[in-house]
Amino acid sequence: MIEVQRLSKSFGKVRAVQDVSFTAIDGQITGLLGPNGAGKSTTLRMLYTLIRPDDGVARINGFDIIQSTIEVQRRIGVLSDAQGLYSRLTTRENIRYFGRLHDLDGAALETRIDQLLSLLDMQSIADRRTEGFSTGEKLKVAIARALVHDPDNLLLDEPTNGLDVKSTRAMRKIISNLRSEGKCILLTSHIMQEVAALCDQIVIITKGMVAAQGTSRELLERTGKANLEDAFIEVIGSEEGLL
Amino acid sequence: MKKALIIFQKELLDSLRDYRSWLTGLFWALFGPLMMGGVLIMVGSVINDNVEKPLSLPVQNPENAPSLIQFLKSNNVNVVPAPADPETAVRQGDLDVVLIIPENYKDEFSSGKTATVQLVLDNSRQSASVSITRIENLLNGYSKYIGSLRLVTRGVSPEIINAITIKQLDVSTPQSRTNLLISFLPYFIIFAIFNGAAPIVTDTTAGERERQSLEPLLINPLPRRNFVIGKLLAAFPFSLASLGITLIGFGVVFNLLPVEKFLGMRLEVNGDTLIAILAICLPIVFLASSIQMLVASFARSTKEAGTYLPFIALIPSLPGIAIAFFPVKSTFWTMLIPTFGQQLLINQYMRLEPASIWNALISSVVTIIVSIVITWMAVRLYEREEIVTRKS
Repeated sequence: MIEVQRLSKSFGKVRAVQDVSFTAIDGQITGLLGPNGAGKSTTLRMLYTLIRPDDGVARINGFDIIQSTIEVQRRIGVLSDAQGLYSRLTTRENIRYFGRLHDLDGAALETRIDQLLSLLDMQSIADRRTEGFSTGEKLKVAIARALVHDPDNLLLDEPTNGLDVKSTRAMRKIISNLRSEGKCILLTSHIMQEVAALCDQIVIITKGMVAAQGTSRELLERTGKANLEDAFIEVIGSEEGLL
Repeated sequence: MKKALIIFQKELLDSLRDYRSWLTGLFWALFGPLMMGGVLIMVGSVINDNVEKPLSLPVQNPENAPSLIQFLKSNNVNVVPAPADPETAVRQGDLDVVLIIPENYKDEFSSGKTATVQLVLDNSRQSASVSITRIENLLNGYSKYIGSLRLVTRGVSPEIINAITIKQLDVSTPQSRTNLLISFLPYFIIFAIFNGAAPIVTDTTAGERERQSLEPLLINPLPRRNFVIGKLLAAFPFSLASLGITLIGFGVVFNLLPVEKFLGMRLEVNGDTLIAILAICLPIVFLASSIQMLVASFARSTKEAGTYLPFIALIPSLPGIAIAFFPVKSTFWTMLIPTFGQQLLINQYMRLEPASIWNALISSVVTIIVSIVITWMAVRLYEREEIVTRKS
């Protein structure tokens, strides 16, 4: 469960995020949709504790992101824009490192790693060094790393960005499966079709502010449009930066 | 602290697999001993060539002065025939010095007059100076010897012409040469400590940022100081190995090469000396790792870090070069300067001078305190959000 209330952040004179509020509940996929530079990633980065908000409150499973940073970090799995791996370590070693930093160890950790390897269908690359992995393979390692501690909440920044069709479909399937496990999933995207296909709740962000939010049905009703694409454009005011 | 150890283990494994970068670091560790060995051999060969080898002296008209020639031969001089044009030969540098015995030498010598011999030489040629001085000394010696004999035949004590006699107490030559060499040791040792840590520190900080793994790493549930401590600890073994290799290298160089023959002075570099130097330098391992870590953490890429770190390694080495030329005594105040105090102490140990344990202790404590402050600054840097918002 992720609760965001009036979150704001400026970088110098640029007001990246202003008064953003929404709630992402367990067992649902909440999508932050908006053009490039709308403040989606900054909002997410504040939630995964790397950037401190100037104003506002955010809680994850009831823990405040500023006051209880460590407790928040224990309960989130993050796929950020930066997905660098350690190229001299194998897939297993990469996942194990993050597992150990999450207080997992021994047989329990190894079992969990094997579970993730089969879940993501990556046994064949389990003991290879990650140097030279394809984009899809790297992404799988990054996801496994983010899921190793079985977090209740998942924060995914443009999870299908740069993936080919096959990997995109695989990624969407993984995200759907995580929803059925009852996880609270918050993802950002600038791809309307993706958000329409995946998300239960949609938060449309533009110029750092929430322009509209609700289910796709609610958004259609509110704008009086026949399809989501037109509804998005109606809300954002232009097609710029959207796909 | 347990989490810092997890980070330490991972960074150690990761760095060990990056064998190309630590091998380069270890090569630099051998640089000092190799260079020192090279200088020793060069210095040694120049000095020995001239002093110990029989000197080859071209002489014109040796038949005019048989007793002088005999004297020269008995003093390790090979008398060879002179070329037709000795002046040109010396001017062109083919010969160092040529002795000319004039035709009238025989008459003058027999009649007890002051006989003249000529030395053809080029005073501006440094490399010839040893040969020239040696011949001049031999000729003066011969002159004095014959003069004394003549006085004795006249019933006069030869002492009468020696109003004073000079006894030299030479405090400079072999010792100062050795001291100059020793003065460069701390420079190489400290350089090795910094260079050993540099590739590891760069890879774990600027490298982490460059390969975009810093952000995911920092989202893990642990206080940021753990990252700094773990990464710092990972640099220690490499820095230590570099220090160890340099010290062993110096030990080998000073014990294998005939230093005494080369420098005319014994240089005691035994296991105890090396262990003492190792102990003195341990705090510098901490200092070198922490200061380079702080700087590399500011860098956006390994390339950028690579442009800063050599300067960092150079700064503490500079006083070492200075003390080669301006002797500085170990005092309380010099011990308060990290790396400078250690350089003075290394010098003292190498010269087998009594070094104060207190000085070593003060120097170590100050260096450790400074290192802790720098580490704390690095922790503060990692606690700021700029650590992730600065783009690579």
